[in-house]
Amino acid sequence: MNRNELELMRLLHGELPEEQARELRARMERDPALAGEYSRLQRSWEGLSLPPSAPVPPGFAQRVAARARAASADTTGLSWSTAPVWVRAAAAAALVLGTALGAGVGGSWPTQETPAEEVQATDEELSEVDGSLAESYWTAIEDLEP
Amino acid sequence: MGTDSATDPGWEALARVAAGDAGAFTPLVEDHQERLLRLCERMLGDVEEARDAAQEVFLKAFRKAGEARPMGQVYTWLYRIAVNHCLNKLRRRKLVRFLRFEANPEEPDAPAFDPPDARPGPAAALEARRLWQLTRKAIAKLPDNQRTVLILARFEGLSYRQIAEVLGITEGAVESRLFRTMRRIEAVQAQEDAQEKGAPRVPGTEGKR
Repeated sequence: MNRNELELMRLLHGELPEEQARELRARMERDPALAGEYSRLQRSWEGLSLPPSAPVPPGFAQRVAARARAASADTTGLSWSTAPVWVRAAAAAALVLGTALGAGVGGSWPTQETPAEEVQATDEELSEVDGSLAESYWTAIEDLEP
Repeated sequence: MGTDSATDPGWEALARVAAGDAGAFTPLVEDHQERLLRLCERMLGDVEEARDAAQEVFLKAFRKAGEARPMGQVYTWLYRIAVNHCLNKLRRRKLVRFLRFEANPEEPDAPAFDPPDARPGPAAALEARRLWQLTRKAIAKLPDNQRTVLILARFEGLSYRQIAEVLGITEGAVESRLFRTMRRIEAVQAQEDAQEKGAPRVPGTEGKR
């Protein structure tokens, strides 16, 4: 992609400052190929259309707020995000120590199945990490591409 | 677009939520529910799933209220949570079911939401539906990162700077990604056009593009 193409996209998206937009329009008048490129891009852009989205269900905000309050009440006094650093560090150390002791004493990992909800929660956290890594990957690849 | 970070009352509401004032959360949800539901619907292509997702996004925002830093506008912060949440959902599906239209075997062209068409005449309604279907097909063929940038730019009307904030990338990356996306869209549209020309046209829709 060249500078012209990026400028055309900026013009289409209303991102080009007025002065530059005027210059580009003047260039398009002199250059039919550039004008043709712009009109093709514009046609594609304007040809993209989706139906209006569904209306907000009645009482949505109240239901969300009620769930948030309930969740907040459940975790009152147990919020790790608000706990002091030393409490979190101590808890993490205890967890690691407990796990190591458990593995040492038991000799093998327990085979009991993990409840589905826990698996789901873990997956979500992992996929958040995967997502940001993937995003960085794509960004890096795109920036490297000519 | 919208209020700037200094005057956006949403940041203050989030600060109050973080301080334990759960009541400050309801007006915040009311202010942003419409655009967040719309974004989730565009991303996921399913109204019911979008409602669940938007709810989860607001709950995440409630939990993360203490981490929010007043930079930009509150809705771009919420969009960031929403985009990540929806992308995770899409990744988990493994199958890019952007809109159910292609993936629903019983009703291949069913829209996620079937709104009344404001334009007069059955020909205009048919043409609008044809464009919606073409758009869905084209968008469904995009990779997640391109689809996201297109939805934010074309359908949410965000500027490059706002998209960069939401996605956590540079404006230059937004620009090049959007351009590549449009190139891909052009190719898909051309392919669909060629296929349509090969197939019998819907009566009353000729010459309407």
